[in-house]
Amino acid sequence: MYSMVEILVGIIQGLVIILLSPLITGIMRKTKARTQKRMGASVLQPYYDILKLIKKDEVISDQSSWIFRICPWVNFVALATAAFFIPLFLMYSPFGLAGDLLLVIGLFALARFFTMLASLDVASSFGGLGSSREMMYSALLEPALFLTIFIVALTYGGTNLSTLVTAVSGATLLPHPQLIFAAIAMFVLVLGETGRLPFDNPSTHLELTMVHEAMILEYSGKSLALIEWSQAIKLLILLVLVVNIFVPWGISSSITIPALGIGFVSLFAKISILAIFIAYFESSIAKWRLFRIPDLVAVAIASSMIGIILYYIK
Amino acid sequence: MIENLSLFQLVVFLFASGALLGLFSRNSRFTRILTFVPTMIGSFFTVIFSVSVILEKPFQLMVPNLLPFINFEIKVDGIAAFFLLLISIVSFAVSLYSIGYSKEYEAKKRTSVFGFLFNIFILSMILVVASNNSFFFLIFWELMSLTSFFLVIYDHDKEENVKSGLTYLVMTHFGTAFIFASFLLGYIQTGSFSFDAFRNSSSSFPILTKNLIFLFAFIGFGTKAGIVPLHIWLPQAHPSAPSNVSALMSAVMIKIGIYGIVRTVFDLSGFGLSPEYSWWGLLMIAIGSVSAIIGVLYAVIEHDIKRALAFSSIENIGIILVGFGLSVVFASFNLTTLSALALIASMYHTMNHSVFKGLLFMGAGSVVYATHTRNMEHLGGLIKKMPWTALLFLIGTISIVGLPPFNGFISEWLTMQALLSSYQIPSIILQISIAFASLPFALTIGVAAATFVKLFGISFLSRPRSETIAKIKEVPRSMIAGMSILAAACVLLGVLPFLGISVITSAFHISSQPINPFDTIILQNNFGKSFANLSMPVVIIMLLSIAIAIFGFIKVIGGKTKKTTFSTWDCGFGNLNERMEYTGTSLSQPIRVVFKTLFRSHTQIQREFFGDHKYILRTLKVESFTKNIFEEKLYLPIMSSSIFIFDKIRKIQTGKINAYLLYIMITIVLLLLFVRLSHNV
Amino acid sequence: MVSTQLSILTISGSILIIATFSVVARRGFIDWLNAYRHQSIVLAGVTAIIGYITGIWEIYIAAALTLIVKSIIIPKVLTYVTRRLEIEFKIETNPYVSLRTSVIISALLVGLSYFLTQQIPFKSDPVVNVLLPVSMAQFFIGLFVLVNRRTVLSQVVGLLIIENGLFLFTMVLTHGVSLIIEVGIFVDILIGIVISSILLFRMGRTFDSLDVTNIENLRDD
Repeated sequence: MYSMVEILVGIIQGLVIILLSPLITGIMRKTKARTQKRMGASVLQPYYDILKLIKKDEVISDQSSWIFRICPWVNFVALATAAFFIPLFLMYSPFGLAGDLLLVIGLFALARFFTMLASLDVASSFGGLGSSREMMYSALLEPALFLTIFIVALTYGGTNLSTLVTAVSGATLLPHPQLIFAAIAMFVLVLGETGRLPFDNPSTHLELTMVHEAMILEYSGKSLALIEWSQAIKLLILLVLVVNIFVPWGISSSITIPALGIGFVSLFAKISILAIFIAYFESSIAKWRLFRIPDLVAVAIASSMIGIILYYIK
Repeated sequence: MIENLSLFQLVVFLFASGALLGLFSRNSRFTRILTFVPTMIGSFFTVIFSVSVILEKPFQLMVPNLLPFINFEIKVDGIAAFFLLLISIVSFAVSLYSIGYSKEYEAKKRTSVFGFLFNIFILSMILVVASNNSFFFLIFWELMSLTSFFLVIYDHDKEENVKSGLTYLVMTHFGTAFIFASFLLGYIQTGSFSFDAFRNSSSSFPILTKNLIFLFAFIGFGTKAGIVPLHIWLPQAHPSAPSNVSALMSAVMIKIGIYGIVRTVFDLSGFGLSPEYSWWGLLMIAIGSVSAIIGVLYAVIEHDIKRALAFSSIENIGIILVGFGLSVVFASFNLTTLSALALIASMYHTMNHSVFKGLLFMGAGSVVYATHTRNMEHLGGLIKKMPWTALLFLIGTISIVGLPPFNGFISEWLTMQALLSSYQIPSIILQISIAFASLPFALTIGVAAATFVKLFGISFLSRPRSETIAKIKEVPRSMIAGMSILAAACVLLGVLPFLGISVITSAFHISSQPINPFDTIILQNNFGKSFANLSMPVVIIMLLSIAIAIFGFIKVIGGKTKKTTFSTWDCGFGNLNERMEYTGTSLSQPIRVVFKTLFRSHTQIQREFFGDHKYILRTLKVESFTKNIFEEKLYLPIMSSSIFIFDKIRKIQTGKINAYLLYIMITIVLLLLFVRLSHNV
Repeated sequence: MVSTQLSILTISGSILIIATFSVVARRGFIDWLNAYRHQSIVLAGVTAIIGYITGIWEIYIAAALTLIVKSIIIPKVLTYVTRRLEIEFKIETNPYVSLRTSVIISALLVGLSYFLTQQIPFKSDPVVNVLLPVSMAQFFIGLFVLVNRRTVLSQVVGLLIIENGLFLFTMVLTHGVSLIIEVGIFVDILIGIVISSILLFRMGRTFDSLDVTNIENLRDD
């Protein structure tokens, strides 16, 4: 069992993800603005948005039912709970005893399921088209996701995130060529799961191109704040997973203030670099035609399949 | 504790009285009560009976020489009791539901006949699982098939129902033939019809016989379970039957096919398999993955609620088979712990599927009861008219999609862990092929989510798509009560997974220790470290406390705000109506396009122009079709070639009496020759 | 030391597979030409690594030749020859198997080649052990591209992938045949490319299309 201090650190880790997540979104937006030769809003803008939205009145569609109303709460609760299972700057999380990587994926799916239902609930065509595209994306990304988890779990001995990250930090990447393939697949997955280009453009409001935005079009006020925030949490969780699985350097193995400090600083630096890289990547490509997306997913699946072959045959 | 024997007799008596009592009553309301209340009580006692068998010792009953040379044997061991438990829980809920639901058919048909068939159907399922003799097994099996056939064509005024009933009849007899062949092989080896004899001497069977017995049993029972490509009857028969019967068929009857497969493997091996039998497991994994993916892909494009649910049953049978196949593969490499894990996974999914598919079919039945249509393109907005049905259906939906914290997640989590554990198999080829088998498995889970978003979203949410919806009301209380029982089971099995796991472990004798329902599932890797953990109670507490925390946070920071209701954003055009909503077909269109090779979908567009204008349309009609690749490529060729052969055979039937006499003579001569020649040797 | 070599080899092999895939996953002619150029650069790198590990200096020359011929000359020649072709000849719009399925099939082919080379008893040599399945995989993938694609230009791609696979295959098994032979092979490829380019050009003129199904029309019946 874990001591009280460890549980406390675990709770802090979860809270840090929840509280830090709008900042990462802000950094990505800023980077995109700069690559487009704009000044862009401050990196803290997402925080201002959330605080402002929370205080605003809401407009609710007359066609909607309680599904529409609870969806933002389900979204936030599911994704915030997922955040507590993720080892952040300490290489384990005491909540790892209660759930593993597959549970985190399950919670993501729960949030997404309710978003899709809520978008159908308001009876607008936008909701339908967003939901229909999201259905395709989520269905296709699932196999790539599971195979990638397969590689990572086998390489490091478990889907338990604490075991996993602990094993990662002790290993050198060189003898594990399968991880290169897992990383390629994982990169595509992060883009797809968080609705980045070329899957979805998070900053568009054109009906031909939007997916996630189309689903949440009817939300306003507190509900919108919750949805925006939970999207930010999801993005940060995925980035942390990528960082802690593929580039674990600097993570703290013990609970001492300096170690935790180094862990936090190095993690923040890595996350920011990754976020900036993704934003650059997004700026450099265009949104793909909807039915070319499966090609990209197929590349992710093929890559993780080769990864599995390489894992077994060495 | 009541003696098991009397309990069993009581159960048989109750079902029989449920079957007969209704026949004597003229008052329809009275009939309903007389029919379904004994069924409920009988199911309730069956629950007690099976729990006591699971917890204590197997139950055995033998009536020697009931027929010449054949003993009537009943034996309920843990495995049988587990399946009895599923049957009885579902039939309890379904019969409660039926009290209200059978009003739907009251105007046209006699409820008493329905009640008779319904009770006999449940009783025959119980007896199939309980019988310990291949002869009586087949009799009860046949009884089960026939009663369910009559129930499928209960509403025989519609021609399509009769047609699907016939398909069902043909396919189920195809399966029975294989089961018969498998039993016959056992009889040849042992000289007895008793399963006990098969069990005791199975270790001395030659390898070829064992393989053949397994293969025949797999094909035979698999037909009942609805594996691809023998699934063809399932999406026809399940929607045609009245919904309470489809709930029973899909939740329980196809599980009897699974029972048969499990029983055969256990009897043939006692789970002490050697690596040369690993192909049994591989076959099951392969067929299971194919069934899962085919089933779910056909479910997602379907717009008939009950057909979609039927296809999803094929998918779930696939998932169950993947789990069980893994268990067999592990067992054949002597990895007992993993084998137990995979077995628990697959049996947990069996249990879950019984519960949520029963719930969903009952929910679909409620929709049909209220709206008289199964086509979801005519539904919509039901959540406002039927709030309880909608809530219960949503619970079933979340469960079947495998989302935490409901029960489907637990079994899918366990199955995924079993797939991940395949790295311990000492054969590279098997490792890689099982890893690749997780590809269709994961795709299935993804598409299943899409299927049920569509199913729930189109039929229950948004604006009503036809006028009839305005007039409907919530279904009677007994129907809601029936559904609530299974919904409660969904929640319970998800929140306290050890409740289910302990039933399975004691039924299959995996471990006899009592288990605390609040335990954490812990799997270990080769190095003794934790491979995976899952503790649903803790997750629930976390979910709840975060919910409370964020609720408080938003309320405190945001303060009190106003909520205004206004029409949906219509881009300023106004007059947004139900024809502008997304339909079910358009919702699943992206998936249909991605998998177009499988669906053979094509679209026909008819344009009509104003006079000579080439660009101004008067009407535009778009039709899109999908074909069932199995019917087209597999069954139609078989059917047309057999029709061809039978045409040829018909030439023998000339109509002349002399010709017939000639046939008789030839037959007799040939028979006599055969007897003579065989004696010579 | 040996384990480091092994890891370097494995990782370089992995990168080669990725490079091969990037050729498969392209539609347009110019795209795949770039991808082929990258793949050849990776191949040259791998060759150089083999040279480093085995310590045979001739292999460095082979690597240099690969770099020059395959990543500079062949793309240049092909761009030059096809510069006047219409754009629709250059894009594979309608392969027999869709692009995404062919990516998955290629992954399965990689699996197949690993499976096949499991039986070959060269366990002691790390170079053979790691890179032989990679070369086989390239061979199979190239063959599959040949089978699957319709336009002649894409078939040339398949041919070049196969050639790269064979080059790696001989390099791995023999650690460099005699240098003369290798130079001969390179010249051979060059001439092959030139001839096929001329044929391509003529074909485009004659049929107004580069679809291989047109070649069926030449049959005498």
